[in-house]
Amino acid sequence: MTLEQLGLLLSQVQKPARYTGGEMGAVHKEKRPDMLRYAFCFPDVYEVGMSHLGMKILYSHANRREDVWCERVFAPEDDMQTAMREMGVPLYALESFDPVREFDLIGFTLQYEMSYTEVLNLLDLAGLPVRAADRAGLFPIVVGGGPCASNPEPLAPFFDLFSLGEGEEVSDELFDLCLRAKREGWEKARFLREAAQIPGIYVPALYDVTYHPDGTIAAYTPREGAPAKVTKRVVADLDGVFYPQSFVVPFIDIIHDRAAVELFRGCNRGCRFCQAGFLYRPIREKSEETVERDAKNAIRSTGYDELGLTSLSTSDYTRLEPLLDRLLDWCGERHVNLSLPSLRIDNFSPSLLEKVSRVRKSGLTFAPEAGTQRLRDVINKNITEEDVLSTCRTAFAGGYTAVKLYFMMGLPTETLEDIRGIADLAQKVVDLYYSMPEKPKGKGVSVSISVACFVPKPFTPFEFEPQDPIPTLEEKQKYLLSCVRSRKISVSYHDATVSVLEAVLARGDRRLANVIEAAWRNGTRLDGWEEHLRVSAWEKAFADCGSDPAFYAARRRSYEEVLPWDHLDYGVTKAFFIRENKKAIEGATTPSCFVRCAGCGADRLTGGACRCK
Amino acid sequence: MKTVRVLFQKTGRAVYLSHLDLTRAMGRALARSGLPVWYTEGFHPHLYMTFALPLSLGTVGLCETMDYRLLEDDFPLDEATRRLDEALPEGLHAVCTREPVMQPKQIVWADYRLDLRCDFAAAAAAFAALSALSELPAEKRTKKGPRTVDIRPLFEVLEVAPAENGARVLLRCRAGVETNLNPNLLLDALADRFGFVPVSATIARVAVLDGNCCDFL
Repeated sequence: MTLEQLGLLLSQVQKPARYTGGEMGAVHKEKRPDMLRYAFCFPDVYEVGMSHLGMKILYSHANRREDVWCERVFAPEDDMQTAMREMGVPLYALESFDPVREFDLIGFTLQYEMSYTEVLNLLDLAGLPVRAADRAGLFPIVVGGGPCASNPEPLAPFFDLFSLGEGEEVSDELFDLCLRAKREGWEKARFLREAAQIPGIYVPALYDVTYHPDGTIAAYTPREGAPAKVTKRVVADLDGVFYPQSFVVPFIDIIHDRAAVELFRGCNRGCRFCQAGFLYRPIREKSEETVERDAKNAIRSTGYDELGLTSLSTSDYTRLEPLLDRLLDWCGERHVNLSLPSLRIDNFSPSLLEKVSRVRKSGLTFAPEAGTQRLRDVINKNITEEDVLSTCRTAFAGGYTAVKLYFMMGLPTETLEDIRGIADLAQKVVDLYYSMPEKPKGKGVSVSISVACFVPKPFTPFEFEPQDPIPTLEEKQKYLLSCVRSRKISVSYHDATVSVLEAVLARGDRRLANVIEAAWRNGTRLDGWEEHLRVSAWEKAFADCGSDPAFYAARRRSYEEVLPWDHLDYGVTKAFFIRENKKAIEGATTPSCFVRCAGCGADRLTGGACRCK
Repeated sequence: MKTVRVLFQKTGRAVYLSHLDLTRAMGRALARSGLPVWYTEGFHPHLYMTFALPLSLGTVGLCETMDYRLLEDDFPLDEATRRLDEALPEGLHAVCTREPVMQPKQIVWADYRLDLRCDFAAAAAAFAALSALSELPAEKRTKKGPRTVDIRPLFEVLEVAPAENGARVLLRCRAGVETNLNPNLLLDALADRFGFVPVSATIARVAVLDGNCCDFL
């Protein structure tokens, strides 16, 4: 397709620059028949997908090879999708404008469950059958990766492969295999057999699943030499790993519109609800020299005026203050703002606050996650009320007047007392402000509490736990509102229906694929967006497929039950999750890995190397 | 410190950038270029940039201008053009840099070239009929909501010539701070009044002029 042909559509749609590519840093190559054409799809709109650091890393990483051309694909908004379908324009890649169905490899990054229907929609918009079994030829091969690949079972029939863990090393091995298959003209069956031999590559078609009469899984049986357990890939040395020298710089305003550098992967905390904290173990840091080099490169090559230091818990980066000392002046001279997301309450020192204050003075956001000490111990958040209050005291003394506090409701063992605790904690923060003689003069305080519904996830100590049903969650939301007395406190919470859908998909099995396909055929897509999600499409899909969402969301699993992701190995052992689950119910905490190694098992993946040792 | 005016072109994929997108892209290009550019002083310093005449999304621009300030008075302007051009993405191209001669408020006209995929005779007849009108009420979107104005005094059809796939039309439209006519409004009027609808239309702004029809410098 040419830009002129595309122009007929672009004149009809909002923000057409989302659909034209051509940004600074976009990679263009001369097409060659022996080259691997790779369409990297983010199943959400451009503004979301272009905010994702992982996709940027893997895009540059693939394109450093001469024999691979990786291009980007995002989901069109409704106006563009309608125009494309009406005018017979298939899904195309942003760099070459070539149809996605003509590519050799189509990759989807699976960042959240609510993007699943959009995966199907994009395959369909490309003109491809959504089920892998109906795509007979060798190419295109459809591969999925990202955090949701840790339980890919609900999507298994739509994909040829899943890539588990970090992509930098395994993608080269996969490209090499694709190129060889292309040269030698393999059948798809042979390709899948060979791919299953690459560590970290999971080929769902090579596993038979049997079920007990009660609907739980009896066994996963590998065929044709596929391994009984597929182990995720990790990069052992983050100072040696590839990091892009340049980035695509979007024209339109996207969600996280800034240069970004990674500080570390993994997390030392062990919060029991947090999937990312376990999925990305073992913890590995970059040295401050590496981060400084990557950061300066990112700013110089993009021209951005904001730099984000990213990780799961920025204030746990052991070299944070020396790094800030290196970066603050350099950024200041260039009019570049530094942003530090994911700060923890318990190690937010006055000297760190002073450094953060030099870069911005908007609101501060902290996540106590639960309202009472008892429940914070259950989830192993390992912070105390005094931590929250002393941090707020430091912040108020430093001139801050707005604090945002994140909580969850529906956590295991939770009672209404814990819900009241959320409002009480917020009130204590308000009272603290007015008790301080050194508070900013003439200004009121604003405490926003944002409450999400807890979603139990695979590869966490809560993978066995039932989720609260919708009426219970809604009742708790109402109760919380009734507990808030001050107008200085504002409350916002998530839609319980979405959280339940997320819970179903997160811990679903292969039989859910029918429901996902039916829901998409019933007209829902981009389910992460309130304006797109059609709950009725999902309800009808469950009913028509005879599938009960409560089986997946609201059922307690025994420790012995075969879980749909038990044949995948993310390093941390199931024995550890069982141990942590038992401790949670007792309200016993597990300290940070930096204090004492909890024996989670993830260090097996790097031959014993872990920051906690 | 001195203010300079860079002449640039907006073509190809960059045609679909909104004015805001363009501002962002230019700011980042200036930052990447490493040129000694002036930032505003104050609490939130930002790059000083102004555009004489914003271009509608979807229109090609062949004579666009942007002013910014160089900290060094004797900085070579060819060097400034070259470094900015190297930092620009596909479709944006810096042509030359000069010291400004005119003020943006002196802009009165802009010339547009319309490449229409259509039957040439139909185009010629439609534009002739358009020129013959003594008044042309049209609905313009303004800040105070839609308003009907007579746009006939705001344009002049300079030329309608046959082209490979139809017609090439040269239009002169009012432009500037006071009154602005988007040539798309004329295409709408042609469709409404004379039923003339080209298969496709590519619009390019080819000149920006002052009250004496001299190029904006």
